Amino acid sequence: MGSYYNIDAILTDAQKVPCTFTLDLPSMGYLDDNAGGDIKAQTSISLPLWLSTLLAVQRLGPSQAPLCTLDLPSSISPRVLNALKADPRTVDLRSLAGNFYEGAARCLELFEEEEIVDILCESFKKRAADIADHAHNPRGALGEGADFLRGLDEMERQLFRAAHESSKAMRAWMGEMKKKS
Amino acid sequence: MALLLPPGLTPSETAFLCEMEMVTVIPRQRLEGLNLLGGPTPPLNPPYRTPLPLWLALLLKRQRRANILPPPWLSPHSLTAILDLEKSSPSFSPLPTLPAHTTTSPPFLPSATADAPPDALPYHWLELGEMLLEAASDDIAEPDTVRRLMRDLREVRMAKMRAGVGVLEGGQEVNMNGVGGMEVAEGRAFILGVVDGLRKIGASKEMSRREREAEERENGIMGGEEDEEDDMDM
Repeated sequence: MGSYYNIDAILTDAQKVPCTFTLDLPSMGYLDDNAGGDIKAQTSISLPLWLSTLLAVQRLGPSQAPLCTLDLPSSISPRVLNALKADPRTVDLRSLAGNFYEGAARCLELFEEEEIVDILCESFKKRAADIADHAHNPRGALGEGADFLRGLDEMERQLFRAAHESSKAMRAWMGEMKKKS
Repeated sequence: MALLLPPGLTPSETAFLCEMEMVTVIPRQRLEGLNLLGGPTPPLNPPYRTPLPLWLALLLKRQRRANILPPPWLSPHSLTAILDLEKSSPSFSPLPTLPAHTTTSPPFLPSATADAPPDALPYHWLELGEMLLEAASDDIAEPDTVRRLMRDLREVRMAKMRAGVGVLEGGQEVNMNGVGGMEVAEGRAFILGVVDGLRKIGASKEMSRREREAEERENGIMGGEEDEEDDMDM
């Protein structure tokens, strides 16, 4: 989704999702590092989101099953969700996926797992509060918060940047005023 | 796209708007009324207090032609009382109540003149206070105490704004009544980012909720027929 030129949307679409094919596909083996070969039914292959979402809704005939079934990506596996439930601040989202939240939101459009949505919203809020604290601290990005800030996903980084810019503008205004008088 | 300005006012723009607020000055020199685009200013006669817009007051103050009488809320006593109020309640301290017959837009409210209510912070409290502390600290009683109290107030209120983010969710809201102009300018980017992020993450839930509601509505309208059909299917 988003604008055609939106780099984040493109990167989100390139995230891989495991899918399991329900049919034998002749000479499509190059998707599975097996050029020239076939894909057997029930093989599980990681495909980018843009491709897998299309395949998951594509049917060969009205009565047939979809070409492949999607699984939840490893970035929102139960293990990660449990860690987020326990303490959202310690999870390194960036190592899981660069566009963690947007990718998860795209997947959840297909799965309708309300519980996961709730967990993600809750952890986003908790982490946002921390981001605000770090952004208002002039040495925030260098001090003890560095580990946490390195683990922010792209959406949270933008949030950090926005909060940091506004507190910087505020300090700049105060400094300017002192100069004038 | 690359030149898109961030939404909202920057701190210097907010401060510019604040300079239209009226303050009370005690002139030291005579000055005839000036006919300005924004309307004539009252003539200044030395011992008499006169209301002037902040920008003109600051100009005269810097040239030592006038003294600024700080608004009553900018005193250690009032600020301490307001700070206690802020600390004891989760909402922001209310805006001052103003006489009914004045204009309603913030820049022209008499909220910073000498007869402003002493027990409430006006919309432009932060920028006005900072500007007065900077340019006219010799007119303010105990400027260092006032400066410290202003900083405390700002911290307390900013912490409240940040805590407000924690309760944002779907239909819930954060009460931001009483937040000043400069605080809005400072917090806008962050709050917008959080709201936008939550909207993106919760999009699928929201969509299914809408679908469910639409379905329920449909069922409600033609409830009778639907039931019959279900029975027949069985």
